[in-house]
Amino acid sequence: MFDRKGQIRIIESFLAIAVVFSAMLVSVTFPSAPDLSKQKSLASMGTQTLLTLDTNGTLGNLILQQNWSDIKTVLDILLPAGVSFNLTVCDENGIAVNSEAIQNSNLLGREAVSVQYVCATRSQTVQFFVVRLQLAWMG
Amino acid sequence: MRKRTNSGQILLIVAFILASLLVSAQLYILEVGKTSGEAESDSLSDFMLSIQFGSRNVVIGSLANISDGGTSNALGLNLREWSSFIGNQYLYGKSILDYTLRDTAPYSSGIWLDWSLNGYGVSSAYVNFTHMLSGLEADVAQSYLMNVTTTLLIASTNRRLSENIRQVNVTINVQNEAGPALAKQITIYYRVSSNWLVPDVANNYTLLDYGNGTYLASFVATFPTESVEVSAHIVDYRDIYVQANATSTEI
Repeated sequence: MFDRKGQIRIIESFLAIAVVFSAMLVSVTFPSAPDLSKQKSLASMGTQTLLTLDTNGTLGNLILQQNWSDIKTVLDILLPAGVSFNLTVCDENGIAVNSEAIQNSNLLGREAVSVQYVCATRSQTVQFFVVRLQLAWMG
Repeated sequence: MRKRTNSGQILLIVAFILASLLVSAQLYILEVGKTSGEAESDSLSDFMLSIQFGSRNVVIGSLANISDGGTSNALGLNLREWSSFIGNQYLYGKSILDYTLRDTAPYSSGIWLDWSLNGYGVSSAYVNFTHMLSGLEADVAQSYLMNVTTTLLIASTNRRLSENIRQVNVTINVQNEAGPALAKQITIYYRVSSNWLVPDVANNYTLLDYGNGTYLASFVATFPTESVEVSAHIVDYRDIYVQANATSTEI
């Protein structure tokens, strides 16, 4: 004759193991905390690129000329391969002024960082812009 | 009566408690990670450096404007706007940019333009900045001065070719902050009576660029008197205008 009490005990033990195991599975499948060191290096890289571009006033000049394709080309050269970017130029009132997208690929679905850079032009009529550069690692 | 044992239920309750502890610990780690990521994404030193670059651009643009005939208060007005603009741009605290225009001779309201000396012309701006930043990361105050100077040095010699006709050479040297700089535009003038004329192809005008900020302009012209006066007007690559006059020496 089977011992029913023993069977219930086994079922309960299995249930308990299943509960703990599923909790472990849930916590493993949570999105991990963002990799801060990677994000910081990307942000720093982005700011350094904009600083390099602004050293002799080139960034302001290109914005004034609305030469968006040249800005994209320069970013392609200055940023390492494997980095996706999207740049937005805003005027003093925060309105985007770039009439076309300045990006090398779509950042949708990627873990991106955003750096903000304030820029003054060297023109006789000095103008101010806020440049927002979003960066993400490809792949 | 049969005795009931609850050890199975207790096991399950303990399992549920363990599970909820695991999940909540994981959620807490995730939340803490998100917060610190936001706070650290902006670098303080990079922001201060970008303001320094912007301040320099404002000074250069203002000097270009003033040297080209703009109003002398353009520098002060532009810096006031710049200071107000960047006050709202630091996301993690307060950013205050103070500036002082140099007012000791030869500067006035941060500007020094002198094109009257023989063989020498200068267009210069001088501003002291103090940038104070207080926020989540730190409280920082940084002082720096911005001196933007375009200098033009010219020297001229001439050689008599016939009665009133002379071959004139003008050596031009352009400097930015005492270092060699290139000119975007050079115009040479020579004086005949009270008129300043520009030599052209008819005067066999040539301009030789040595590539190191030194240029040699040569031309042939008719001068009714012994005195040969020349003038060079240049615009450098920062769009700053400067001019200098010189009396040519006969060789």
